[in-house]
Amino acid sequence: MEKLVYIALFAPLVSSLFAALFGMMPKKQFVGVVTSILLGISFVASAILAHYVYTTEEAIKVTLMDWIGAGDLHIPFGFVVDQVSVTMMTVVTLVSTVVHVYSNGYMDHDKSFNRFFSYLSAFVFSMMVLVMSDNFAGLFIGWEGVGVCSWLLIGFWYHKPDVSREENPSISPSWAANEAFIMNRIADLGMLVGLFIVYWNTGSLQYDEVFAQLPHLSGSVLNAAALALFIGAMGKSAQFPLHTWLTDAMEGPTPVSALIHAATMVTAGVFLVIRANPLFSMTPEISYFIAVLGTFVAFFAASMALVNRDLKRIIAFSTLSQLGYMFAAAGLGAYWIALFHLAAHAFFKALLFLGAGNVMHAMDDELDIFKMGGLKKVMKWTYLYMGLASLALAGIPPFAGFFSKDAIIETAFNEGTYILWAILVVTAGMTAFYSFRQVFLTFEGDERYKKYGFHPHEVYRYVLIAMSPLAILAVIAGFFKGSFEAFVTELLPEYHMSEHTHHLAWLLGLVVLAFAVGGIVLAYKKYAKGLKRDEALEATWYYKLLANQYYIPNLYEEFISKPYAMISDIFWNRVDMKIVDATVDGIAKFLYGTGDGARRMQTGNLSNYLNWMAVGAVLLLAVAAISAAIIG
Amino acid sequence: MDNILSVLVFLPALAGLLGFVVNKESARAYGITVAAIEFLLSLWLWVSFDTNNAGMQFVELIPLIPDFGVSYYLGVDGISLFLVVMTTLMTLIGIASMSITENVKNMVVTLLFLEMTMVGVFVALDAIVFYLFWELSLVPMLYIVGAWGGPLRVYAAIKFFLYTFMGSLVMLVGMLFVAYIYHNVTGVWSFAITDWYALVLPIDYQLWLFAAFFLGFAIKVPMFPFHTWLPYAHGQAPTIGSVILAAVLLKMGTYGFVRFSLPMFPDASVMMITPIAVLSIIMVIYTAMVAYAQKDMKQVIAYSSVSHMGIIMIGMFAMNAEGISGSVFQMLSHGIVSGALFMLVGVIYDRRHTKLMSEFGGLAAIMPKYALIFGIMLMASVGLPLTIGFVGEFLVLVGFYEVSPVMTILAGTSIIVGAVYMLSVYKKSFFGPVTKEENKTLKDLTPKELWSFIPLVAIVVWLGVYPKPVLQPIDNSVKAMLAFMDEKAITQEAKDIIKVPHVSAHAREVK
Repeated sequence: MEKLVYIALFAPLVSSLFAALFGMMPKKQFVGVVTSILLGISFVASAILAHYVYTTEEAIKVTLMDWIGAGDLHIPFGFVVDQVSVTMMTVVTLVSTVVHVYSNGYMDHDKSFNRFFSYLSAFVFSMMVLVMSDNFAGLFIGWEGVGVCSWLLIGFWYHKPDVSREENPSISPSWAANEAFIMNRIADLGMLVGLFIVYWNTGSLQYDEVFAQLPHLSGSVLNAAALALFIGAMGKSAQFPLHTWLTDAMEGPTPVSALIHAATMVTAGVFLVIRANPLFSMTPEISYFIAVLGTFVAFFAASMALVNRDLKRIIAFSTLSQLGYMFAAAGLGAYWIALFHLAAHAFFKALLFLGAGNVMHAMDDELDIFKMGGLKKVMKWTYLYMGLASLALAGIPPFAGFFSKDAIIETAFNEGTYILWAILVVTAGMTAFYSFRQVFLTFEGDERYKKYGFHPHEVYRYVLIAMSPLAILAVIAGFFKGSFEAFVTELLPEYHMSEHTHHLAWLLGLVVLAFAVGGIVLAYKKYAKGLKRDEALEATWYYKLLANQYYIPNLYEEFISKPYAMISDIFWNRVDMKIVDATVDGIAKFLYGTGDGARRMQTGNLSNYLNWMAVGAVLLLAVAAISAAIIG
Repeated sequence: MDNILSVLVFLPALAGLLGFVVNKESARAYGITVAAIEFLLSLWLWVSFDTNNAGMQFVELIPLIPDFGVSYYLGVDGISLFLVVMTTLMTLIGIASMSITENVKNMVVTLLFLEMTMVGVFVALDAIVFYLFWELSLVPMLYIVGAWGGPLRVYAAIKFFLYTFMGSLVMLVGMLFVAYIYHNVTGVWSFAITDWYALVLPIDYQLWLFAAFFLGFAIKVPMFPFHTWLPYAHGQAPTIGSVILAAVLLKMGTYGFVRFSLPMFPDASVMMITPIAVLSIIMVIYTAMVAYAQKDMKQVIAYSSVSHMGIIMIGMFAMNAEGISGSVFQMLSHGIVSGALFMLVGVIYDRRHTKLMSEFGGLAAIMPKYALIFGIMLMASVGLPLTIGFVGEFLVLVGFYEVSPVMTILAGTSIIVGAVYMLSVYKKSFFGPVTKEENKTLKDLTPKELWSFIPLVAIVVWLGVYPKPVLQPIDNSVKAMLAFMDEKAITQEAKDIIKVPHVSAHAREVK
């Protein structure tokens, strides 16, 4: 089994290095094929491992070699394959394989085809390190690794210039890449601090050793560690107020959005909370905070999706919103439900993004859904896929999202946090509305695209086939809820609904369903027949507020980016040059000046010298007299 | 080879003298050959170094002025060993990648002479010998900046020389005073650092001496607010000068702290933790912001160099093995990475004769290899895990967290502000459309340039993935030093803060 662990882990690395060999050459089709096969191998290995863990119920632990050792700190490259990590591995490699195959078609005409696959596989490798590590430092390697790959991939089309848009002061792929990297770095500092707290209080960074020590630690230490680690999680999972990078990350190629910014990397924060559940279970206040923030983000992001016109940004907001759901579940202690939603969401959200990619491909990279409509005639399969994914996202039975999201909402009720419950229910309605607003505006109604001169067409058949595993999983994943629960709760704490909730379960489910169906019906009424713009509504302040993302990107620009640049400039021009350096030069000039002044005494004139001697003698006498007076 | 250290010190100088008779055309090949031999010898030193021995090895001791206890006394331990190896490596790569065309012979001779002084500083165990090499190192650098520099070269060279020289003089006074005390206590004169280590000094002496040495070292590092000579020196120096300056000369300052200040004045060092940490944090944040404001690519790297030295400084005063080992490791990492970054700036300067970022843009499309290597070094500079830059920075921050969580968080902003200016450089220069016509025809790295970078890239990755061969000897010597400092400290406060590591399971296994 050890070999399989290494195969699952290193196949993506080999794939990345292989593609890198051809990175600066023109497109080579075999690069796409070989990398896809290697990713497939990684998936198969992960699946076998999953089966092994499922049947034997034991974790596999391997240690590759030492990494850092100094003082009392010893960090190995160690990996653990247990119920949680194997779930993540399987999900990650499955979605990655699909996305690799898909990218063969999507990046078909890109001149940096090979480079793209190198980055994409490197991302998968980092993600595998992240989920498989048996210690926090290893997790951090993956954590930063996915960050860099995300930077490379968001900025993949780096040649595009910066532009200004109404809701974004400045945007371009390279700008968005830097924003994502820097925002994540802010959170990573929190994460690092979390590691330091853990290390100095438990003497280790290995998960098992750390978790064994937790009962001996004081409440404040636990709270500090949990909070610091969660700050790290907020960056990667784009929770408020570090959320703006995720929608801007849509500047990257769409397969990247599907893989990194929907299915895998952004769930790393949720994964961290799940992985460190022994810690978070012991810090109820922090956990409650996580749940509240998660619920807030779920609603907050959904509200912005309601009015957005950008095909990919709508899905990005919905990802944010669903991450909020996952955090809500994890914060309320239902870790396995969070993990279940994570997996289900990965399938249907990746499918949705890839579908959006098909649309973009057909529409020459146009993203404005107001310019689309009626695409169902030419893109039947994509419509079907996106429709399925949206049904799953909206939580309509029997699709995957119904089972996972419903469980989260039920949890909120079960915990007695009725306000959270109510918000999550309303958000479910909003989710259904914006998802179908998008689907209907894109595929139903009048063919507005004709006016803009687009000639849409369906994508390659093999691309559609490659997407089918995700479609199937989006439909059926929910049926495995019971066995999934049995599998992961061997490691994660069990979570059961109380008797009371259990009795009301059908009613609760019905309420959520009513909201979801209501959202879809509303969207159908408003948008299925075509786009009728309501200008009065669009002129209202709340519509503008939502369309401008609560003006947060502008606020960040005005109150963080610009002042930072301004203060930097002041530091350089005013402080460093005019004060620090001027002082140094001032001292030098003073010394030079006094020397120059003293030089004038050396006139060579004997009577001058005698004068100076007399002055000196008088001064010395005076000093002698004064000191004698003081001492005497 | 019992005299390996003497060979390492004097081979470049002797070869440099002989270099005067080499004819002009072959000067460069001659320089590369000598530097390569020197580098191989330093590798041999590493191979034959006993990594389990934390003390001084390859010791050479010849009395020079017995009446005053001045001797020719050399030795290396885990802390200095790798600085020597890094010095020879960076000199070799520097000479090999040099793009100077005027007076090549003089440059080669100067560099070889400089190499002697640098190696000499790191292996000297006698304060006078140390001081000699320390001051001698200024001369070749003065010449390099003054003769091959930009338009303001004379101002920059003199500023560099006088500023650091002034600091060193105060340090010399400190050294003489230590010897004087040593004479008073023991009745014999000695300038041997190892003898001085045994000296237990009262607190007020420690503080004054700490201050004297501090001035010498801090200007060299350079610590805020003594750093302003550095941007001028870098701004005017030719690429090779900047590479050596950033990679090696600055390390002399931080090395001085580890070699002199910490073991000789443990109590004063502990009392100075907060002031030094505050200065270091200012270095980290303030200079990073100044770096962000720069328009000239080389100035960004110059200020970033100061910012990273702040991390090295703060780690050194963590008073635990994690922090100090991390700090020493970070010296090596900084040497490799900032050296490489200056070389990279040199590449574009050679092509465009400008370093202004506004002149570039979109270079990634035109010079992909150059962009790739710049990208790798950028990531190492911002401390990406699995590159050399992460190991030291992480250990430093871990270590200092034990001393002060708040100050660690402030110093830790290094990972944010560092990313801000580095990514901004990369975006301005490499991303976006190609706007300038001149840039469209730029040539990517030549084989010569490429092969000077490949070893550095290999080291960046190798020591990022597997730092143990380097980190372990460093850690052993640091642990021994900490145990010694703890024993020697006279105040309870210092004994509490200086953390002697347990003999870990790992170390036992090695034995």
